[in-house]
Amino acid sequence: MSNIHSKTAIDAIKRSPFQAISAVFVLALTFFVATTVAVLVYASNKSLGYFETRPQIISFIKNDAKEEDVTALKTKLSADSRIKDIKYVSKYDALEIYKKSTEDNPLLAELVSPTIFPASLEFSVTDLKLAEDVIRDVKSEQVVEQVGFTANIGGEKSLGDVVSRLKSISYYVRLGGISFVSALGLTSFFVLLIIISMRLNSRKGEIEILSLIGATPSFVRSPIIIEGVVYSLLGVFIGWTLSLISWLYVAPSILNYFGTIPVLPQNPIDFFVLFAMILGAELLIGLTIAFAGSLIAVKRSLKKAR
Amino acid sequence: MISFKNVTKKYGSITALEGVTFDIESGEFVFLTGPSGAGKTTILKMILRELVPDKGEVIFDDTDITKLAQSDIPYLRRQLGIVFQDFKVLPERTVTENVQVALAVSDIDQDEWKKRVDHVLKLVGLTTRAKLFPSQLSGGELQRVSLARALVINPKVILADEPTGNLDWKTAEGIMELLEKINKEGKTIIMATHHEGIIKHAKHRVLELVDGKVTKK
Repeated sequence: MSNIHSKTAIDAIKRSPFQAISAVFVLALTFFVATTVAVLVYASNKSLGYFETRPQIISFIKNDAKEEDVTALKTKLSADSRIKDIKYVSKYDALEIYKKSTEDNPLLAELVSPTIFPASLEFSVTDLKLAEDVIRDVKSEQVVEQVGFTANIGGEKSLGDVVSRLKSISYYVRLGGISFVSALGLTSFFVLLIIISMRLNSRKGEIEILSLIGATPSFVRSPIIIEGVVYSLLGVFIGWTLSLISWLYVAPSILNYFGTIPVLPQNPIDFFVLFAMILGAELLIGLTIAFAGSLIAVKRSLKKAR
Repeated sequence: MISFKNVTKKYGSITALEGVTFDIESGEFVFLTGPSGAGKTTILKMILRELVPDKGEVIFDDTDITKLAQSDIPYLRRQLGIVFQDFKVLPERTVTENVQVALAVSDIDQDEWKKRVDHVLKLVGLTTRAKLFPSQLSGGELQRVSLARALVINPKVILADEPTGNLDWKTAEGIMELLEKINKEGKTIIMATHHEGIIKHAKHRVLELVDGKVTKK
């Protein structure tokens, strides 16, 4: 039975190839943009998260500091309401971080031992305005050798500015992307609706005959829905594949430019997992557009026929 | 099998049927005759549940089909085989596919298709035309396709609306012979026609309609 519906759908596509091409083209464009926007949203979220969770202050511990003194300082800082996200980085952790940042040149890592790296306590402040006071207090601690910070705290280009700018970029990427994709999605939906309505109009005689010989509405509907699903699936795969190829092409330059900021997954498996998730979501959206467009067109057409 | 009880149907101010009452038994061959606009097609459309009377009942197998739910109409139509004056075959499908469509519509097991299609094509004499498209067939052959499609689902009743209307006398005779043969196999046939020659020649019961009223039963 499904053979007859598939054959009807494929015959209809073959009969009007330009209608089919325009439907697939619009859907492919929509899903190309949707995939691209989804990756941009991912990238802006990731970079925002990176800056938000980045420790703002690093207090390097003296080499001769006792472990209990370091633990006491950590406990004291944890109790301070101005401080959050405290993390202890041992000499060995510091060596690992060094090794990772010099992995292009393993010789550099071989030449050093953990003893040359100071242990540290890394943390952020709840409000950047409090940073200068916190730094002064931490500096006065006996076990602390030196205090460093990741941005010019209090200055014009503070980390706070970076985060707030990233937040607004992320917001506009999301807002603009979603609006653009929604507009394209709506266009795809209407193009599909128009093409299927035209198809139904050209099959009016056939639908009348089928109805007279006892076809149920679902029998009439099936080839139309199959046709819509074919357009949608082709649109999703073409749009997604083109976007994937584009991202694969630009990813090395982007990763190189942003360095340690994880705008894109650095591991190829994670990269493909991200795209597989986007594909899954797009298939769902594509099928929804196909079903909704076909069903509405058929419903309108059958209503007129009665 | 089929009963019309005091059926009235109006299209605006025009009365298509007025108080029409008749019964048709299973296995009968009945001609519906009368001039154009007398109400022949309206009666066939009511049996098909394409139209609902303004008044009266249309009984098919003890069921008043005027009260049938929209979702049950396809199941009623699967018990009826229809042959149209303008054939109504699907132009982009071959003879075999045209017949198969009726089987697909009626949810008949695909394993049975070949046997059934071969049987009806043999019956209507189209075995050698099975792979041709409607554009490659003559009027008589197209009507045979229409008849094969009606028969393949093994319906209880064949409704034929002027099946010889577009055919020459010789071809029409061939179609009539086929309908006679089918009727002899036990099928009920209701045929609308105003072809006097055919009616006289066939010698079956005639329901004559004039201005929406049955004048001869």
